[in-house]
Amino acid sequence: MGTENFISLSHVSKTFPGVKALQDVSFDIHKGEIHALIGENGAGKSTLIKILSGVYQSDPGAEISILGKKYDHITPLEALKAGIVVIYQDFSFFPNLSVAENIAISRDLEKGKNIIDWDSMRRLSAAALERLGVSIDVNTPMGELSIAKQQLVAVARALVYDAKLIIMDEPTSSLSKGEVELLFRVMKTLRDSGISILFISHKLDELFAVSDRFTILRDGMYIGTFGDDDLDNDKLISLMVGRSIEYKVYDKRKTTEVLLKVEHLSKRGNFKDISFELHRGEILGITGLVGAGRTEVLQAIFGITDYDEGRIELEGVELKHRSPEQAVHAGFGYIPENRLQEGLVLRKSIEDNIVVTVLDQVCGPLGLRRTDKMGALVSQWMDRLSIKPNLPEMPAANLSGGNQQRVVLAKWLAKQPKVLFVDEPTNGIDVKAKSEIHKILRDLAEEGMGIILVSSELPEILAIADRVIVMRHGKITAQFDGATVSQEDIMSKAVVSFKI
Amino acid sequence: MKTKAKKKELTIFIILLVISAIITINNPSFLTLENLFDMAKSNTVLMIMSMGMLLVILSGGIDVSAASMIAAVTVVVGNFLMGVSGNIFLAFGLGACTGVLLGLLNGALIVRFKIPPIVVTLGTMSMIIGMVLYLTNGVWITGIPASFISFGRLTLGGGERKGIPIQILFMLAIIALTWWILRFTIWGRGVYAIGGNRNSAERLGFNVSKITLFIYAYEGFLIGIAGVVHTTIMQQVDPNAFIGFELQVIAAVVLGGASVLGGYGSVLGTVIGVALFSVINNGLILMRIPTFWQKIVLGLVILVSVSADVIQKRIQENKTIKVDIEEA
Repeated sequence: MGTENFISLSHVSKTFPGVKALQDVSFDIHKGEIHALIGENGAGKSTLIKILSGVYQSDPGAEISILGKKYDHITPLEALKAGIVVIYQDFSFFPNLSVAENIAISRDLEKGKNIIDWDSMRRLSAAALERLGVSIDVNTPMGELSIAKQQLVAVARALVYDAKLIIMDEPTSSLSKGEVELLFRVMKTLRDSGISILFISHKLDELFAVSDRFTILRDGMYIGTFGDDDLDNDKLISLMVGRSIEYKVYDKRKTTEVLLKVEHLSKRGNFKDISFELHRGEILGITGLVGAGRTEVLQAIFGITDYDEGRIELEGVELKHRSPEQAVHAGFGYIPENRLQEGLVLRKSIEDNIVVTVLDQVCGPLGLRRTDKMGALVSQWMDRLSIKPNLPEMPAANLSGGNQQRVVLAKWLAKQPKVLFVDEPTNGIDVKAKSEIHKILRDLAEEGMGIILVSSELPEILAIADRVIVMRHGKITAQFDGATVSQEDIMSKAVVSFKI
Repeated sequence: MKTKAKKKELTIFIILLVISAIITINNPSFLTLENLFDMAKSNTVLMIMSMGMLLVILSGGIDVSAASMIAAVTVVVGNFLMGVSGNIFLAFGLGACTGVLLGLLNGALIVRFKIPPIVVTLGTMSMIIGMVLYLTNGVWITGIPASFISFGRLTLGGGERKGIPIQILFMLAIIALTWWILRFTIWGRGVYAIGGNRNSAERLGFNVSKITLFIYAYEGFLIGIAGVVHTTIMQQVDPNAFIGFELQVIAAVVLGGASVLGGYGSVLGTVIGVALFSVINNGLILMRIPTFWQKIVLGLVILVSVSADVIQKRIQENKTIKVDIEEA
């Protein structure tokens, strides 16, 4: 491990309209080291990756130096020439083509060759895999490999590109323990041959197993870079959490009347033995790291996916529904994480989107919509949620993110559900809009609705959740009282401790 | 190493053998060299067009105008033979050009306006059929020059009845050419890449527009050749001969293991698919089963193989593990 820098960043910032995604980040990545990048969701990790790979341009004033050569920002081509390769979670492969082609066909494309030289392609890719010390038949179609092996092929492809810095974004998220160990061995092999690796993961135990140094981001700010000996569990967690965003913290309520009861819910490969109660009139926060299985639990309860075993009770009656339609009928509402993809028909108007859950109430005997009933309903919810502009005919696509989220809310509220699931409701909207959504959710709970809020943003959970459940690796690891819990309490249950 | 794709081809091949055995038991005249050559000759057009359709389907597209295109080619070539010249080479050249032009029309519409291939080819199908009927009034073209007819009767060795018909040689050449293109050219690998992951293909530097144009032009080229070959067999031109033929072509390719979702399929599989298709048709005739059954069987075969494909994909997606559950 040398201490010569491969890349050195100083004063890198990135501003999006209304948001400072990165502020004055400065750190170095040495040649031949595994460098961990740590931070909560929204800490700026992805923005930083995109700046390094040239997808985003950093704000003026930054200075980036790669092997002594200075840039004020990096273009995608410069990144490629400098040997910076990102391996994303979806490896963007051709499942139907062979491993050899997936690794090496880009060579032939670049050279403008018309005739494929299978021998040299096989040799090139086999050599790259051999450098990693893994044996994969290069003639196998990519789609028939396990995810772990696909990952290794992605690394091999990076080597063919002559990578000097490989950025791995959550590479272990779908791997088993044995596969993770294999990947780590490969990472160490690469490091010893002088390649730098920037390793992003939520799993702290894994980060500590391979990384030489650690850089921590929080709220887009650079917190520090530490060596292995300078950090322990508590210190790291205290550096990661404590985000500065200030929300209004609502008074928490003690509720007792059980509305929804979930017992021993399990689904292979998704979650295991999930049991909890949701009371009438409370907000139950479910938090944990991305990939802990939170969304999967909600989807199973709502009937979008199946579960293997377990029992769901609503108001003392066991539910056996197997489809979202039946769940809605039973009194559930579900606002998914990706509101644009799953929650709205963007081309349709605000009013069309709102009434879609209650068509039976606004239609006359022939199944035609009655404009009088529809208008009353729509204006009631648009006022209540102050959706702006107040134009029911406007296409939902023209609204701001916060207002779109409110239209999705209105759509579900019009149905007047007993239980409302909201998954990351404030993702990607500004602070003011977030606070308004918080107020709406609190008001709904006061009126007696039971709300499950899935959120990775701890300040949000602390601001509005009456009780908090923490999930890790598909299991519930802790339940807390929302009035007294701290960010450190939650985070220490959300991550696997790495040092005893 | 046996890959899944090769297993699929093996399965169809075994089905082909079983069905052939059943037919042979019922009617031993099925398994004679003469019947096999006859069967191959009369399915030459299907085989050649299936090679073109294979590229289209591999890229995730579909072409329902293929039958109308070959009708147009036969009419153009027929008129040329009657009115201008009976020259074989010119006939093939003209047929190929006509096919390529029509194919390029499909390709250009798909690339330029980003319209789904099924919509584009539905439109061009209707237009081409309309033109053909307008030009011919549906009347057959007969009295093709004798030189052309005698070319169609050429065989390789063994005289007129016993040798390998010249049409089969064309067929073999085109199978070999298509195999070479798909296996050894960057264009052919591009066809697979587009069908496998269109976005990645674009990002990696495949020129998706050019490759799409190539796919439909090559398909048109093969249709052009098939049109002339067809004329050498029939020795006359029936503008209505190909109504509904596109279904047979698509069915043969799908039967050969190609996925309608794109990306998966092979020349070998398609050859077996066409063979299976021909054997079913020929066998049903030999077994004196009414011809409407052919259509019912054909429809069933399409439905079963396509839905098996889609269902398998869905099961796979559902099985994907999302969370690595921690075992205490």
